[in-house]
Amino acid sequence: MFSGLVITGQTVAFFLIALFLIACGVMLLSMKKVIYMAISIGGVFIGAAAVYILLEADFLAFAQVLVYAGAITIMLLFAIMLTKHDELERPAVITAHPVWSVLGTAGLGLIVLWVVKFSGIKWPQATADSPFQGQDNVKMIGESLFSQYVIPFELVSVVLIVALVGAITLANKEEKN
Amino acid sequence: MADFFSWVDKPLDTHAVLNMIIGAVVILAFILGVVTYSIYFQRKLIGWMQWRIGPNRVGPLGLLQTIADVLKLLIKEDVVPEKADRNIFLIAPILAFFPSFMVLAVIPFSANHVFTAYSNVGVLYYIALSAMTIIGVVLGGWASNNKYSLIGGMRSAAQMISYEVPLAMSILGVVLMAGSMNLVNIVEAQISFPYVWYIVPQFLGFCVFIISATAELSRTPFDLPEAESELVSGYNTEYSGFRFAFFYLAEYVYLFAMSGLGATLYFGGWSGPFLPGWIWFGIKVTCFIFFFFWLQATMPRIRTDQLLTFAWKVLIPLSIVNLVLTAVLKYLLH
Repeated sequence: MFSGLVITGQTVAFFLIALFLIACGVMLLSMKKVIYMAISIGGVFIGAAAVYILLEADFLAFAQVLVYAGAITIMLLFAIMLTKHDELERPAVITAHPVWSVLGTAGLGLIVLWVVKFSGIKWPQATADSPFQGQDNVKMIGESLFSQYVIPFELVSVVLIVALVGAITLANKEEKN
Repeated sequence: MADFFSWVDKPLDTHAVLNMIIGAVVILAFILGVVTYSIYFQRKLIGWMQWRIGPNRVGPLGLLQTIADVLKLLIKEDVVPEKADRNIFLIAPILAFFPSFMVLAVIPFSANHVFTAYSNVGVLYYIALSAMTIIGVVLGGWASNNKYSLIGGMRSAAQMISYEVPLAMSILGVVLMAGSMNLVNIVEAQISFPYVWYIVPQFLGFCVFIISATAELSRTPFDLPEAESELVSGYNTEYSGFRFAFFYLAEYVYLFAMSGLGATLYFGGWSGPFLPGWIWFGIKVTCFIFFFFWLQATMPRIRTDQLLTFAWKVLIPLSIVNLVLTAVLKYLLH
């Protein structure tokens, strides 16, 4: 299956990142303490950002690190620390559930493997004359955000402002009571 | 100057691997030297400003003082409090240190430095990664299971998150002027035709930048997270030995990185007449570090409530005004 695989920086990095991502994901599911889960989900966010870098989407990757690995993980940590942080998940009751999950996961994996490798679909390959090849990622995103997608962009910012003001109003009300 | 993606498609042979490892080791050795002597410089300088002599016992002029201190830290016992959350307590210093080392990758030390990443998102890279140090600090404060550490960690997170906003907004003015987030291109934009460093057209932005940078580095007058007199040094109270050294190291690596960023954004980085680029970069960075130490010797600490109000009600509006002014002027002058 891996015949003719050239060892480039990309392949090595991909396998390391994939290992890291899967390890963090498994840790997220199997850890009992909530705070360990929060750290593992931070690891998952960073791993996803690393995959974006491999796909040469550097702006998206560092936006992901800034928003998810930075801000959201810290918010999760704050929420856990300021509430009941000794919360443990209850030990699970033994059921047939894990067996079905393993079967389902294996089935999905086989389907994906078949689609990617053996179904004979022609996947698009990057060539020198592909559109936008070798252009500045940041510039392209900025230009399309402010021309083609300007109305959705503005709407999203309005929604965010409303959320911000709403959060402040709610917090203020509680303080007065 | 290595392109940010140049390694992706090339076959990975021994030569390339060796290059990467040597690059990392050289930068690590360099940064350890810089940190060692900025701590010495700090103690000597503040000593002089306070009419003392400063360290002068170990080695000639006390030059080996910091090395002796580091050696002492490394051979100390690594104490983990009994009630602490052991695993998080152990990894928190690592989480705090590794982003501080990674941000050095995009800072252009000289005109043709082999280890600088020519990244199109350099500024964003710095801001995104430096935000991750907060996780290490908060976790370290929480895992110690000590109320002073917890308050220190929380204060630190609140302060760093609040001041990251005006910091990023003030940098946006520079990005707008240069038309690029690439730090190398920003330096080149300052060298090209009207040879003027961005400190002149971006003076308001620079004021916001230097204040937020001081707060981001938790240095006096914004050293509330480790206020010795009230918090017994904050999030790292329970740490000893080389784990404490890691927190300390991260703090000083950021001092260097932030100075490098300031010199690159506002003072033309490695550009300058007669001398080679790396000497100019060194001079500018030293001036920045000197400025931070000078502030430390001069200013008292401000209050917590004043700190956050100042960020949200003064610095952020100012940085927005700066951004809008820059955009309007750039449009009119075109």
